[in-house]
Amino acid sequence: MSSSEAKAERKIPFADVFRVYGSLGAFTRYNLILIWVAIAFAFWFLNPIKALPLPQEVWDALRKMWATPGRDGMVYNIYVTLQLNVVGLFYSALISLLIAYLSIIPVFQPFNKMVQWLRYIPIVGFNLVFFSLFAIGWPMKVAMLTTGMSFFLVTSMTSVIAAIPHMKYELAKVLGYNDRQVFYSVIVRPTLPQMIDMIAQNAAIGWVMITAIETFNRTEGGIGAQIFAYNSTNNLAAVYAYLFIIGIIAVAEDGFFSLMKRLLFPYSLIAERA
Amino acid sequence: MSEQEQNSQEPDHGSLLTLEDVCKDFPMNDGTTFVALKSMSLKIVDIPERPQIVSLLGPSGSGKTTALRIIAGLDKPTRGSVMITNGIAGEMRSVKVGDVGVVFQKYPLFEDLNVLNNLVVPAVRTGMKAEEAHEKALGYLEEFDLTKQKSAWPVQLSGGQRQRVAILQQLMRDRHFIILDEPFSGLDPVNIINVMKLINRIAHQHTLNTFLVITHDVTSALAISDHVYLLGRERDAEGNPIPGSRVMKEYDMIAEGLAYQPDIEDLPRFAEIRKEIKMVEFPKL
Repeated sequence: MSSSEAKAERKIPFADVFRVYGSLGAFTRYNLILIWVAIAFAFWFLNPIKALPLPQEVWDALRKMWATPGRDGMVYNIYVTLQLNVVGLFYSALISLLIAYLSIIPVFQPFNKMVQWLRYIPIVGFNLVFFSLFAIGWPMKVAMLTTGMSFFLVTSMTSVIAAIPHMKYELAKVLGYNDRQVFYSVIVRPTLPQMIDMIAQNAAIGWVMITAIETFNRTEGGIGAQIFAYNSTNNLAAVYAYLFIIGIIAVAEDGFFSLMKRLLFPYSLIAERA
Repeated sequence: MSEQEQNSQEPDHGSLLTLEDVCKDFPMNDGTTFVALKSMSLKIVDIPERPQIVSLLGPSGSGKTTALRIIAGLDKPTRGSVMITNGIAGEMRSVKVGDVGVVFQKYPLFEDLNVLNNLVVPAVRTGMKAEEAHEKALGYLEEFDLTKQKSAWPVQLSGGQRQRVAILQQLMRDRHFIILDEPFSGLDPVNIINVMKLINRIAHQHTLNTFLVITHDVTSALAISDHVYLLGRERDAEGNPIPGSRVMKEYDMIAEGLAYQPDIEDLPRFAEIRKEIKMVEFPKL
């Protein structure tokens, strides 16, 4: 064995961790995650930013709010916000899918573009419009969240449709498909797994909007209203306890969408791996 | 009469596909027009008791893809006509998309359908009874060594398996005219032979089967075809190409006594024609 071959044979431990597209085993991959979580917690415990409440303070606030019954308690407010999140996500997904899929028909393309441009406008800028169209409270919050999320979802979903290779459309045409069959077989069905990805990604934007919408519309409570209230009284431990809860819900939501994709469209995961 | 003599007789039969004076122009952003095809004409005729394998051969940029799209009905010619047989001798009609099957270069399939459904679903969508389609697809899969892959997703297939599924998908509908776009592109010599055998095998399933092979591979085109059409551009006095491709030359491999010969590549005439195309014709196109 030549010296260069011997050198190649001698594997430096964890070298792949630092290489471009380094190949990692499951054990190393999980350990990497643990290391990054540990770094984040170390940063928190050492608390170089004095504005951050200590983990123990956050934990105490969380336990106290969890034990509080009624409208001031954490359980009630999580329920209110989660309900809004699910309903808003459902409506915005339906509306956005419709607008995105219609983008392949020329007459709807300008409308689709307009909706995409609106994502630059803060949703609270339309307060008066929502005030005049919906009752204050639940209807208005749902309408604001659905509208705000749809601006982003339409953009993402339209990009998925735009990325469909033209050859797929031509394959369907030479196989004798009519326009309706092309629409279903080339545009709708194959993109559904990616649409789930888009909904999952944009669910995060939904959480940012929810807190703003609930701050603006506090009559029924919710996480946004609670964060606003605790911020006003400088109770940062309670604020961070709610942020921690949002993080947990977000991870659960991601898991739910991933499971949906796995169950409904198994081929998409095989394609991703390939 | 020997087979070679029989082969050399000009077949006196109906046309299967004709291109008459086909032109295709594309408007450019600067207001000019790009002439892709100019007065392109060709005729594919029925050969009795035999399928037809015809090659449209040309170097890159010679308008092969434009010609494919027009023959398949995917694009309309600027001028001229493309007529296809009605199935009745002497009856021709304008080609429309769906009349001609196309196996595209990268073998696109429906990625959300497994192999069996890639054959069954398109056939059912276009009018075949589900039971009949299922039976026919299973028969094809068995015949072309794909039974084990019937439940596989397209992404799990090798390049060769994907090509076979793409061809079978086009055969599911009872169309006899199929275009193969660059079927030998990027293949090693062993796989080129395998693809040629596959095309021959499928073509010979029905005497009306007509395969139009679009390729720049001179040897494979000559080896597999009964007719080869050279596509390219004329040159002016200074040797500059004149815009607009058309059929510049036709090689009748039947008349040459080369078509259907098992060891065609060993025949001296084959080598002569190949050399002529590679050394004389291609550089001019």
